[in-house]
Amino acid sequence: MLSGIAAPAAALDFTAGEQRRILRHGPWPPASRPDPSNRASGEPAAIAFGRALFFEPRLSVSGRVSCATCHRPDRAWTDGLPQSRGQRAVDRNAPALFNLRFNRWFGWDGAQDSLWAQNLRPLLDRREMGIGPGGAARLVRSDRQLSCGYRRAFGEAPGADDERIFVDLGKALAAFLETRVTGRTPFDDFRDALARGDAAGQARYPAAAKRGLRLFVGRGNCAFCHFGPAFTNSEFADAGVPHFIGPGRVDPGRHGGIRKLRRSRYTLLGRFNDDAGRSTAAGTRYVRLRQSNFGEFRVPGLRNAALTAPYMHAGSLATLADVALHYSTLDEERLHAGGERILRRLDLSARERADLVAFLETLTETAPRHGFVGKSGAVQCR
Amino acid sequence: MARPRPGGPALAAALALVLAAGEAAACDRPEGWTGGARIAGDLWTAWWRSEPAAIPVGAHFSVRFHLCGPPAGRVRVRGWMPDHRHGMNYRPEVTLNGMSGTAEGLMFHMPGRWQLLLDIRGAAGGETLTAETVLE
Ligand code: HEC
Ligand code: HEC
Ligand SMILES: [Cu+2]
Repeated sequence: MLSGIAAPAAALDFTAGEQRRILRHGPWPPASRPDPSNRASGEPAAIAFGRALFFEPRLSVSGRVSCATCHRPDRAWTDGLPQSRGQRAVDRNAPALFNLRFNRWFGWDGAQDSLWAQNLRPLLDRREMGIGPGGAARLVRSDRQLSCGYRRAFGEAPGADDERIFVDLGKALAAFLETRVTGRTPFDDFRDALARGDAAGQARYPAAAKRGLRLFVGRGNCAFCHFGPAFTNSEFADAGVPHFIGPGRVDPGRHGGIRKLRRSRYTLLGRFNDDAGRSTAAGTRYVRLRQSNFGEFRVPGLRNAALTAPYMHAGSLATLADVALHYSTLDEERLHAGGERILRRLDLSARERADLVAFLETLTETAPRHGFVGKSGAVQCR
Repeated sequence: MARPRPGGPALAAALALVLAAGEAAACDRPEGWTGGARIAGDLWTAWWRSEPAAIPVGAHFSVRFHLCGPPAGRVRVRGWMPDHRHGMNYRPEVTLNGMSGTAEGLMFHMPGRWQLLLDIRGAAGGETLTAETVLE
């Protein structure tokens, strides 16, 4: 391998196969369209209402917890904690809330099949906010600003059906969160220079990042799961991360997620989907439950990963260097118990691990867009 | 798409002759199809094509197929990554109409080498036909 001595310049010219694989991680941002399952998707008034709801602590039983408690805009939309705390502690890491519009599944276990359904989960979970459909609907009906925001977003005053109002809050929040797409990165500039055959543009990309990228699309096998422009195939895998929550308790991961999905009232096959044709419901219709889903978690996207420590579903790894070490020293015997063989113990040198981290760091947006977002969504209702 | 057979060109030519005389002649590309690929087994021969024609990575697609051979009672369609030893995360739904069918809800969730497997059962027996494709 490359350890020790500096790599000769020729070693950094990517082969034709490597180039094809690198190009698959762009262009960025990808094209997107409104979510047909959500009639508020892309609607400016719904986006403004969703923003107001995101910062609204009265949506919690205690009146003290809002979405922004655990998804802080000034912390890349996460909380920096291994596991979040709302009204009580939860046992998973709060994911950063960007590039969600490209996902198929939501939550580490994919228990939700739409962004709007995902947004209802903290409102139902007592550990997080727990206000529930009745409490949420009463609040929206009784508060002038909120009921005005609702009317602007959905074209009608909040009615008598609590659950309908409740689901609509998830949809307004989704309209807002869909607008959070990460900006261009040094990797994107390199990738586009490669696509254009622009040598000067390619030369600006750091050599360490190039070596890390080669590992990522090559020997590291990373791109099998961290595939495409968002660096995730939006599916699930066992990455060898321990999933004990406490003595005798494990997080079942995807296995539990599919079972929750099948019990849920809020899926794309249910009555709250605004798309009569169910055109985005194939995943829900055909998903298959298997024993090997135990211990599988959603493959996270890697854009802005350098800003979203700690890592993994329960925040068990503090830094990207720890992640590189994790993949380098995997326990293959445990991992291959399910029969699947993608990940291997990579035995990377210290230099190679640093290269991998250098590459991951180039997935950070150059002009920060993750920063503070104004709290006031109420302006339009004066 | 069919797996390359051992035996070299001479054997292949001989086989082609035998096939041309037998079932191959009896299994033409289904009417109205432009693309598609053929997989020959002992009992059945299948024509299949995906929709869209280029199988996407990480998005749902469907497969249409047409069988030649004895009557088929049940067909299951599966995907398998031999190098990684895993299948698909979705279970496709097959509708069989005589000797033609459609499988909805397939997804190949990674780039790499995939097999498309047709498990066919009928009064004459059972057989698995395998096609192979590499996604980038
Ligand atoms: C107590 C902290 C906490 C609060 C409050 C909270 N979240 Fe979360 N959020 C989490 C955690 C933890 C997860 C991961 C949950 C899981 O995997 O089951 C998550 C997951 C998500 C996801 C899925 C992201 C993905 O990549 O799949 C979205 C979207 C989301 N939250 C939006 C919201 C919204 C909107 C609110 C307010 C209504 C909210 N959250 C309130 C902690 C919180
Ligand atoms: C088999 C699929 C698979 C492969 C291959 C894979 N990963 Fe992952 N990756 C995952 C999954 C699943 C998780 C989340 C695991 C968990 O939380 O338990 C993850 C988590 C991560 C995270 C943490 C992201 C976050 O926000 O928490 C990083 C960084 C990462 N992987 C980088 C890599 C690198 C670098 C490689 C190659 C050396 C790689 N992955 C190979 C599936 C994979
Ligand atoms: Cu695979």
